[in-house]
Amino acid sequence: MGQSAAPLRRLRDRARQRFAGAERRGLLIAFEGPDGSGKTTQRKLFKTWLQSEGHDVVTTKWNSSALIKPIIKARKTVQALSPEEFSLLHAADFRHRVEQTVLPALWAGKTVIADRFLFTGLARDVARGLDLDWVLKLYQPLLWPDLIFYFAVTPDTSSRRVTATRTPNYYESGRDVTDLDDPVESYYAFIKRVIREYESLAVVFNMITIDAEQPIGEQHHKLRELFREGRSRPWSEWNLEAVVEWLALNGYGR
Amino acid sequence: MKASWRAPGRLIAIDGVNGVAVRSTARAEIKRVAQAQRGGISTWDASGVFGDLIVADPEAGRPSARTLLLLYAADLAFRLRWEIRPAIVEGRTVAAAPYVATAIAFGRAAGVSGGWLRNLFAFAMKPDELRLVDKPPARTPHAISFVDFGCAHLSANGHSLSRRELAERARTHLRISARL
Repeated sequence: MGQSAAPLRRLRDRARQRFAGAERRGLLIAFEGPDGSGKTTQRKLFKTWLQSEGHDVVTTKWNSSALIKPIIKARKTVQALSPEEFSLLHAADFRHRVEQTVLPALWAGKTVIADRFLFTGLARDVARGLDLDWVLKLYQPLLWPDLIFYFAVTPDTSSRRVTATRTPNYYESGRDVTDLDDPVESYYAFIKRVIREYESLAVVFNMITIDAEQPIGEQHHKLRELFREGRSRPWSEWNLEAVVEWLALNGYGR
Repeated sequence: MKASWRAPGRLIAIDGVNGVAVRSTARAEIKRVAQAQRGGISTWDASGVFGDLIVADPEAGRPSARTLLLLYAADLAFRLRWEIRPAIVEGRTVAAAPYVATAIAFGRAAGVSGGWLRNLFAFAMKPDELRLVDKPPARTPHAISFVDFGCAHLSANGHSLSRRELAERARTHLRISARL
């Protein structure tokens, strides 16, 4: 960001050395899927397993930046967000977490598990009627996970699991865009749109689809197997810009 | 994400790095408009997001230029929804002080790419008139313009340029954009 050629080259070299050249580098693993797909349960089991395998694990959750979350929460409480505001504030929350949590942990060689990643923003915002290309660009420079697990369930399963114990809140049920007053009815209509977007994104972004209708233990063992196969994937050069920008932000270029 | 919507009123964008000068220009512009058509002045942080940032836990970490710009865009979406569009629909004239050019200049000064910035503000309606207020950054210790606020955050975050240097750079970007 705003670097002249020589420092920029140094930063690129430094980033490549840390990620592409390291024997054991930091890994970023994203868990994606609609509400009620059981990804949080799987994320917790997976984290425990990774720790038992000697990984230093950091977890980051959607909409959890200590700086931006209170701003979003206050506005969600009064149901004051338009789809654009909703999208932009979540992108700000994501950017702050990438800079403050995700990249520092990856740089330190840790394994980062993201309980939802930018694809959550894409699926929900497009389901709210926003343009995919506009939303995707908000998240630039893009940071691609090494592995993206997509927990696939049908709208019926998601709806049944979510509404079994609670009433979905205003934005979760998409009442801001469905024009339906009943939270359960609205949730079903909205999650159908979200799942449709997720399914397209899963293909475009090469996500690993997990059948989240299967028993919990079976899914967990599948994750272990997929992780063992996928962990040795080479570092993606697509991440260079995001890393270089973060290094510059933290004064590494000076 | 094209903002193609058009309505009977007028939007005057007033941009600059000096918040005092931008506001006084906005007041003068609105005074020139016939009383019945005055829609008022829309200023930054109408939604209060930046006010909330000021009182945030210091342990939360400082926002980067991109994070500040995303928040500015969210605030602008709020201003368009509640202040600007409703007045324009009624046939009134609104002065947006600042509008998009100020934020783009701040982003360029901080090293953010022009392409990202153009996409970020693609939802904002095109102003009928754009006034650039070419005054130097204010010398007051208070951050009264978005550029002051952003530059103060970035310099405190360890940016290689001081708050004033960043603001001057933003002013230069505004001048360049005025020539284009």
